[in-house]
Formats: sequence, structure tokens, C-alpha cells
Amino acid sequence: MSQKPISRRQAALRHAVLILASIVMIYPLLWMVMSSFKPDNLIFSDPMALPEALNWDNYVNGWNALAVSFTTFYRNSFIIAILAVIGNVLACSLTAFAFARLEFRGRKIWFALMMGTLMLPYHVTLVPQYVLFQNLGWVNTFLPLIVPKFMAVDAFFIFLMVQFFRGIPREIDEAAVMDGCGPWRIYWRIMLPLSTPVLATAAIFSFIWTYDDFLGPLIYLNRMQDYTVPLALRAFIDSSGGESLFGQMFAMSTLSLVPVFIVFLAFQKLLIRGVAMGALKR
Amino acid sequence: MAGLELRKVYKRFAAIEVIHGVDLEVEPGEFVVFVGPSGCGKSTLLRMIAGLEPISDGQLLIGGQDVTDVPAVKRGLAMVFQSYALYPHMSVRKNLSFGLETIGAPKAEIVQKVAEAAEILQITPLLDRKPGQLSGGQRQRVAIGRAIVREPRIFLFDEPLSNLDAELRMQMRVEINKLHRRLGATMIFVTHDQVEAMTLADRIVVLRAGVVEQVGTPLDLYNHPANTFVAGFIGSPRMNLLAASVTAQSGEDVQVTIEGGKSVSLRLADPVPVGTRVTLGVRPEALVPVEEGHGLMRGEVQITEQMGGESFVYVGLPNGRTVTLEIAGQPRITPGELMEVGVEGGRIHLFGPDEQVLRQV
Repeated sequence: MSQKPISRRQAALRHAVLILASIVMIYPLLWMVMSSFKPDNLIFSDPMALPEALNWDNYVNGWNALAVSFTTFYRNSFIIAILAVIGNVLACSLTAFAFARLEFRGRKIWFALMMGTLMLPYHVTLVPQYVLFQNLGWVNTFLPLIVPKFMAVDAFFIFLMVQFFRGIPREIDEAAVMDGCGPWRIYWRIMLPLSTPVLATAAIFSFIWTYDDFLGPLIYLNRMQDYTVPLALRAFIDSSGGESLFGQMFAMSTLSLVPVFIVFLAFQKLLIRGVAMGALKR
Repeated sequence: MAGLELRKVYKRFAAIEVIHGVDLEVEPGEFVVFVGPSGCGKSTLLRMIAGLEPISDGQLLIGGQDVTDVPAVKRGLAMVFQSYALYPHMSVRKNLSFGLETIGAPKAEIVQKVAEAAEILQITPLLDRKPGQLSGGQRQRVAIGRAIVREPRIFLFDEPLSNLDAELRMQMRVEINKLHRRLGATMIFVTHDQVEAMTLADRIVVLRAGVVEQVGTPLDLYNHPANTFVAGFIGSPRMNLLAASVTAQSGEDVQVTIEGGKSVSLRLADPVPVGTRVTLGVRPEALVPVEEGHGLMRGEVQITEQMGGESFVYVGLPNGRTVTLEIAGQPRITPGELMEVGVEGGRIHLFGPDEQVLRQV
């Protein structure tokens, strides 16, 4: 009984620290959302103030403020992100299936090499990749951002899926073999349906990472009609000359978070299950 | 329904040989049980028959055809796995029909066969459930049903009952037995449980360390074990194996003296010389308490296990060994009392120094 007040005080302290940390973490986001409702002249003159009213002008004007409408930017972003998701899920799961279940020469070495690419920063391969895509005539198209995803370049997802597949009892494969399935059918009819948590995890992360990607589109896409949303947001500062449209940029930035939020909220349960299972199942 | 033949079948994993040239013939419609301790290669042998493990050397014939290098699906077999290996994401109906769909059977035929199998195994009400919603026994039925719908030439069972509790195991044992009679199919069943082997098999194949020790009907193996391993493995409680030596011989007659006990006279087809170290085997039910001076050995009762219908009495001999007696009824025997033990009838087995049986006449 004597311990109760202490633990209660400790709990209060712990909560206070956590709340403070949360505020620190979420403050930039809140500031951006608040600023999106303010006229430009108030954003920096009184940065801490709450907006006087919910002024939607920045949203309405921002959508068409650039030479190309945000409808196009969103369309571009979605095309790239959705194709990247499809490519990653299909190619990575197929590769993972091979590593987890098929016997082939040099399997361990190939797996180690693939894991090695995890340690290779994106920026190291940037220049050679650019030259490659330049020679293919793919610069200024979406292809450099989409095609590689169909070639299982994301070692992290492969690793995640290999771990998951290994957790599926081999006897189920063998039962399928007795039922007349070859490797393709086992992959398609048995492995994939049993792996929805890990596939969802890969899909969600693929979507968020591709959708948020700034560097890739920046390098390969130069015409404004090809821009993705993150590139377009930067254009608010570039294109405005002397006058920066910060309010509109914040409004569009806030809007750009909506798809990520929706995807995350909708698939949160699957995501957590996938990460936990991938990590814990042998 | 087909027969099966193994000809000098070997299995090697890298440099390690685990199956050492097994020869075996299974008649069409026969129920054959592979039995042996864990690691004896019985499951490996079954998986080689199934086509899940390649055969390193030798020949496998099914229905007279050489299928050594034929892939699993084309061998026309069905297998029931120890862990059932049902497809967790499919309904029971789908689990049953999946194999038929894979080989492209007509829809009407699939529906009919699934209904038939479900009827036989009494799982019709479960057809729309997922495996996760079934009890262990029900899953087992579905796993067997999955094999039935394929109408395989041979059924393979890989320790299918070992995940069930004792009560259910007994039930399923009876059901598998009935199923065998009903379908008349060839079945090969792997188990480490000799009771399962005794109750199910037409013939038992006893394996040890990748070698077939003996093949025969359950009673054959029980009454005429070929060596000490089979003698000890088949029967529960196990046969008493007592160290002994030949102390006298004249013609076919030999006198065998038990270590720490008395002598017994036996008639052998091929007599062995005096001094040979042998093993004397007596089933627990052949041993009885006798009056002092009339028995083969004498010792102190250590424990009595009352089973109700019969009792197991463990008697410690002066040389430290223990013999087990199976006595009908509920005798009053208390631990600590001295007991003289004799053999009833002539049921004494004798094994030579190479552990092989010495035939008696």
C-alpha cells in the first residue's frame, strides 16, 4: 500500500515526459497545418499564433497555383507509387520464395550478396544508374522509378518475406506437391495467400516510401507535367520568383499527407502483425 | 489399388547413408506398417516412396512400373502428414478439392468425390469451416479425406496419430482400420508406436538404423522375433531379455544357464558350443510365480502395477537386472517380498551372440 503514491507519481512523471516528447515530435506538423490556414504575411511575423479563422483560400488557390494543376501531380504520384507497390510485392515475394524454398546452386552466396546490397547507400549507385537510364532513353519518363521495382531491388522486403516464408511449415508445401502443385502453383496458391501480413507490410512501406520519395523524381523528372507531389511542393518556392507562396505550399503539403494517413490507418493492423511476425517467427 | 516394391533402395544425405539397401514387397490392398524408434529411417523411407525425397540408389516399383525417377504427383499416391498440413487459408471443402482441381478433374466429379469422402469421414457439417476452427481429431479426418478424394493407388500415412490424445488416437486407429476394409486400398503407415503397428497392420516392417530387421504379420513378429531388437521392440511391456550362457551340449540339446539364475534345457536346430554367450528372451506373460525350488530365478519384488485386468510385477534379480511378470487378475503381491519366478509352457526365445534368434526344434 505504501508504494502506491510513489508509483502514481512515477506514472505521472512518465506521462509528462512522454507528452512533452510527443509535442516536440508533432510540433512541426501542427505548425505546418496551422500555417496553411494563415495568409502569407502572418506565417513568419507571428509564427506561434493560432490562425484567426479556418481560411481555406490557400487550399483553393494552391491547387492551381503552379503552371500545372495538382491533379496532374497527384495522378503522377499515384501511378508511380501504385506500380511500385505492385512491382515490389510481386518481384520481392517471388525472389523470397526462391530463397526460402527452392534449392539452387549458390543459393547462400546469392542471398548474402543480396543482403549486402542493404548496406549500399542509394546515393552510391545514383550516378551509374543515371547513366544507365540515360542510355536507355528513360530520363524524363516514369520508367526509372517503376521498372527496377519489378526486378526485386528492395533487399529489405525480400529479407522480411524470406523470414516469413520460412515460418510456414514445409509440410504444407509437401502436401501441395502431393496434390500436384509445382513451384509456381505453390507460390501462387499456397504461399501468397498465407503471407498477407507480410505482403501488406511490404505494400504499405513501398507505397509510403515511393510516394514520399523526393530524390528519385528530382533526378529523373525534369518537365513539370511529370512532377510528383513532393517535387511540385518544392516548385512553390522556385517558381514564385521574388514572392514565395508559403501558405499555399503548406496547404498542399498538408493535403499531400492525406493519402499516407489513409493508407497507414487502413492497414495499420496488418502492418503491425506483419512486422511482428516477420521478426519473431523463425 | 496397387502393389509396391522396393529393390535395394538406398538414401544418402551427402556422405551419410541413412537407408541401407531396403528390399520390400507390398501386395495390393495390404496394410503395411513401418515401425521403429525415432531416427530409424521409417519416415525417410515413406517420403522416398511418396517422391518427396529422391532415391539415391535402387528401384521403386508401383503397380509393376518403375517410378524411381517419376515426380511425386505422377506416382498416384496420397499422403497424410503428421501435422495434417491442411491449407489454413482454405475451407475444408477447398482443402479436399484442391488436389482434384490441380489435376484438372471435371467440376461435377470433384463435387461428387468431395461429398463422398466427407460422408465416409462424417465431416459433411464441417465443409465450410477453416482448419483453424476444427479440433485435432476433425483436422485429422480432413487430412485423411484429402487423401481419399484423390483415389490414390497407395495411401501413405506419416505418424498421423501422434498429435492426438490417447482417447482420440484409439478412436482414429479403429477408424483407419475400418477405412482400410471399406476402401480395400493399399496403405503404408509409419509409426513409432508398436501398439498402433500391432493393431493396424497386415504386415509389420521393423526398421532400425536404416535396415529392415524383420517383416511379418503382427503375431509372427510377436511369437517369432528374428532378433533381440524386434523381441524388445514388439510387445508391451517388453520381452525380458536375460544374459545367459551355454553350459552343456549334446546333439541338439543344450543347457543354458541364466546369469544369476538356474539352467534350462532347450533343443536347437543348429546347436551352439559350450561357453557361447546367449540371450534368453521370455515374454512377461510367460513368467509366473512358482513355489520355491521350482523356478528359473529368484528375486525381490520391487514394484507392482495394478492395471485392473492384469498386474505387472517387477522383480529385481541378484545380478541387478529386473524381470517383468504379467499376471492375470489382481494378485496380492507386496514390494519387498521374495519371489521365485518360473516359465509357463515352453515359450522361451534364445538369441545368439550376434543377437539373431537360435531356432528351436
